[in-house]
Amino acid sequence: MQITFTVNGEERELEVTPYTRLLDLLREDLGLTGVKEGCGKGECGACTVIMNGELTASCLVPAPQADQAEILTVEGLGTRDDLHPIQESFVEAGAVQCGYCIPGMILAGKRLLDENPEPTEKEVRYGLSGNICRCTGYAKIIDAVMLAADKLAVEGSDSSD
Amino acid sequence: MIRKSPMKQENRQMISGADFEQYFQPQSLEKALEIKAEYEDQIEVAAGTTDLLVANYEKLHQIKNWLDLDKLSELRQIEVKDNNLYIGAMATHLQLMKSDLIKEKFPVLAAAAEDVGSPQIRSRGTIGGNICTSSPAGDLLAPLLSYQASFKLQSAEAERIVEAEEFFTGPKRNLMEADELLTEIIIPLTENKREGAWVKVGRRKALVISTLTLSVVLEFEAEQIVKAGVAMGSVAPTPIRLGEVEEMMLGNTLAELDYKKLGQEVKARINPIDDLRGTKEYREDVAADVMVRALNEIERKRG
Repeated sequence: MQITFTVNGEERELEVTPYTRLLDLLREDLGLTGVKEGCGKGECGACTVIMNGELTASCLVPAPQADQAEILTVEGLGTRDDLHPIQESFVEAGAVQCGYCIPGMILAGKRLLDENPEPTEKEVRYGLSGNICRCTGYAKIIDAVMLAADKLAVEGSDSSD
Repeated sequence: MIRKSPMKQENRQMISGADFEQYFQPQSLEKALEIKAEYEDQIEVAAGTTDLLVANYEKLHQIKNWLDLDKLSELRQIEVKDNNLYIGAMATHLQLMKSDLIKEKFPVLAAAAEDVGSPQIRSRGTIGGNICTSSPAGDLLAPLLSYQASFKLQSAEAERIVEAEEFFTGPKRNLMEADELLTEIIIPLTENKREGAWVKVGRRKALVISTLTLSVVLEFEAEQIVKAGVAMGSVAPTPIRLGEVEEMMLGNTLAELDYKKLGQEVKARINPIDDLRGTKEYREDVAADVMVRALNEIERKRG
């Protein structure tokens, strides 16, 4: 069957089967390998995307349910030369170790800051609670999101995307 | 501004879904019920798919027929009519925890929804899915029992209302017929002052299957308890309501209750198993403790 959806601002029309997961569609068909597969069962958050404004485990979405959806992956956030303030903050805070969980962490951080631009540390922990880092670098990841909140507050509303 | 993503290939698909016909995504409930009547238990019903895709991990291709309810926005409503709250079966946990109506009138249900899985799970998982999966550990189930909810089951031919208490018949089993869909959850409102508490015990805060859950809802006329709903999850083959413990509280004020004794009464009425989330003995002791904690919390809230 055919679905139409928007990925990182670009409309795509694709043939999918029900046994294709959104995760596979993004990685295999569209080459968006920032979306990682960790557990494949919704427990680790490595495959997190923002779908219709909400954090979503792309490994638990059958492709046909992505029809008409708006999807944001980490590739849509910034480029190597022009990082999003959240990405910058992860670099500056030294929050990245092996890196596997980071795309999911960054998107969870963005979703949190979109709704709550001045979170407490506790709120950051809750916002990131669906994402696991097996390097266990949580302290610096939380620092990075707090730093990003400061940066975004300084830059104002024009760069929130 | 959203940047254009560097998608490497225009399209590198090797498989085509063009000829896959057994995926139904009906636009109306009527059509969905027709399909269910035709395929009965030979079709997998897809709601938020947070259970379905886990249960079928690495064997999704083996599902022959799909009935996807995603397009039925009529099943996502939350509204009050005639002194009842109606929740559409496709309402997500995120919807429940954010709904002002539920936060105000049914805070124990809102609190339970907030404890389900993780943000990634709550944005997709539905109340109907939680009910139909019928896990003894389903987080919304104890609150639904203690608020005395009932469920509307519809088939192409008929509809019936079943009380939550009667719905669950065993681990992952319930009394739904093969041609039925759960469409609505109905919870009665009350004029009385109601206070409640929610306790979820697990090994960590997020993404955990409950070791045990407890939901206590008390209804007061002045200081007197006139109605009680005490229900637990993960302590028996189904989520259970503890009617005898409720009876013991009726007619009393909070001050007249012996919390510790009620904790022991709860412990005596559950039938947990040993599993990797906790032993039978642990669950029994914790059940007694959390009952005391819940009553203390209600006392504090009424303060």
